[in-house]
Amino acid sequence: MKNLIYTALFSSLLLFSSCNEDEVPATMAVDISLDHIISGQPLELNGKSFTLPSGESFTPKKFKYYISNVKLTNSKTGEIYVESDSYHLISEDGNKSIDLGMIPTSNYDQITFSIGVDEIANGKTDQTGDLDPNSDMAWNWNTGYKFLILEGEFTNAKTEERQGLVMHIGTNANYKTITQSVNGLKAGKATTISLVTNLDELFVDPNSLLLSELESTTIMFGEMADKVAENYSEGFITIK
Amino acid sequence: MRFQFPAWLGLVCVCGFVSCDKIDEAPKSGPNLISLDAPDYFPGNVAMPADNLLTEEGVRLGRMLFYEKKLSSDGTVSCASCHQQQKAFTDGNKFSFGVNDAIGDKNAMSLSNLHWQNRFFWDGRETTLESQAIQPIEDKREMNLPIEEAVARLKADATYPSLFENAFGTEEITPKLIGKALAQFQRTLISANSKFDAWIRNEVELSPEEELGLELFFTHPDPKLQLRGGNCGDCHLGFLTAGDPNGFTGFHNNGLDTEENLPLGLMKVTGNSFDRGKFKAPGLRNIELTAPYMHDGRFQTLEEVLDHYNDHIQISSTLDVLILEASNEIPENSETVKLHLSENEKKAIIAFLKTLTDQQFITNPKFSDPFK
Repeated sequence: MKNLIYTALFSSLLLFSSCNEDEVPATMAVDISLDHIISGQPLELNGKSFTLPSGESFTPKKFKYYISNVKLTNSKTGEIYVESDSYHLISEDGNKSIDLGMIPTSNYDQITFSIGVDEIANGKTDQTGDLDPNSDMAWNWNTGYKFLILEGEFTNAKTEERQGLVMHIGTNANYKTITQSVNGLKAGKATTISLVTNLDELFVDPNSLLLSELESTTIMFGEMADKVAENYSEGFITIK
Repeated sequence: MRFQFPAWLGLVCVCGFVSCDKIDEAPKSGPNLISLDAPDYFPGNVAMPADNLLTEEGVRLGRMLFYEKKLSSDGTVSCASCHQQQKAFTDGNKFSFGVNDAIGDKNAMSLSNLHWQNRFFWDGRETTLESQAIQPIEDKREMNLPIEEAVARLKADATYPSLFENAFGTEEITPKLIGKALAQFQRTLISANSKFDAWIRNEVELSPEEELGLELFFTHPDPKLQLRGGNCGDCHLGFLTAGDPNGFTGFHNNGLDTEENLPLGLMKVTGNSFDRGKFKAPGLRNIELTAPYMHDGRFQTLEEVLDHYNDHIQISSTLDVLILEASNEIPENSETVKLHLSENEKKAIIAFLKTLTDQQFITNPKFSDPFK
């Protein structure tokens, strides 16, 4: 159940609407869609292999992540919409959209959101909805949530053996906030904001990962996990 | 502070109920809607199928059908023959026996908390409890009764037509309605009164050994960080300790067989060779009572199960990456997959697994044979 409250500055809008013939509706429907791509193609989890930026072949099996604390800003007027209770579990074989519902009208030109869940939500697992600890996103009862899961397999270039890649990234330091400019959000008009999540970006920029060279292909905590988080903090999710 | 749910959650539940009641108030004479008696820490986002809402009368009928031997060709076998309450709805056999001592090729699955599952049978070939329920009646190795014959027998019975009338508003008995009634009863088979549940509700403490077992159960090991784990919770998720209910994500090849001996498993359903040797990760509630283990009942004890995961994983092309990648020691070579748990750690995991035993579930009179 989504429980929306609005935090926005309306004064200018109210002035406008009172002296305008074509009244702009007070609210507008906005949703967000996410496309998952890897190696320039739509992600598939059914055994298809893709080429990573390193040139290595990789077969993804599971891909899930949290998007939280979604905010829209009109940088010209300073109006801000903040989604309350804003935690969304996005997964390739589950939900790939976020419905903000009817939100206060404005010509929003920026979207801000975070990958992962914030420190407060990450400190407890007694939550419901997308934070329900019955999914495999809760680590255990003390460690909080995995922010991003990517699992798959590849053939190690050196040993020529089949190896698994287990990326489970979490911990508060790896909660990353992203702001992007958006075009086309017109006051009063229903809009879908289309985002693209590019899995290639987990493996490069600024930290290049060569799977066959990894000391361990279980990346959960520690330095490697932080490096992956640094990679997803920019260029991973962008406006289509 | 284990899982104190916020107070507003209660309100949400109440609101949910109120709105349901409103919708279904209209046909006053119809069956009485009931809701599942599930704890608030089970997933809350699974709706009842709109075309098979849970009713008192539907559950009552389903329970009778579950224990009805007329639904087998020679009148000797019911659903409950292979799904016995005192064994958490399993039968203790490697493979189950049907009529004429016919023998199947899979281990009878335990029935509990099924409302939160999405795929049924070890190979996931059915998507609903309603459609699943018909198959064992018709299967030659199980109850061996053509479904039309089952319908005819129930129609000819003195009591069933009125029970169907009460449950579904029609005396017309159909295979679909048989499936619906059986599904309703099976949804009520909720196991949520184990020691683990009492611990979740903050009513008891676990012993240090059980607590260690719980930690290990839910941890994927990482030897670099000296993080020790039994790697169980990667596939047996959350409070239900059951497989992932999204798509086929809850199906895994858990290293039972070598490439040459890999059975079809999920591939039988998807046709994708990537799914060869994958089977449903079952919920582990009452696992102490449901031996033997695995889809083919090859392991007699939990000790054997733990030994399998620790030392005897067979490598194949579809072995789950979460098993392939899991070890408590940095592997010396990649030719073998070993978890490297200590004897005490294996014991602790088994001690935790035994906290999943629910005495109330296996003695609940609501789930027992109504003909006795």
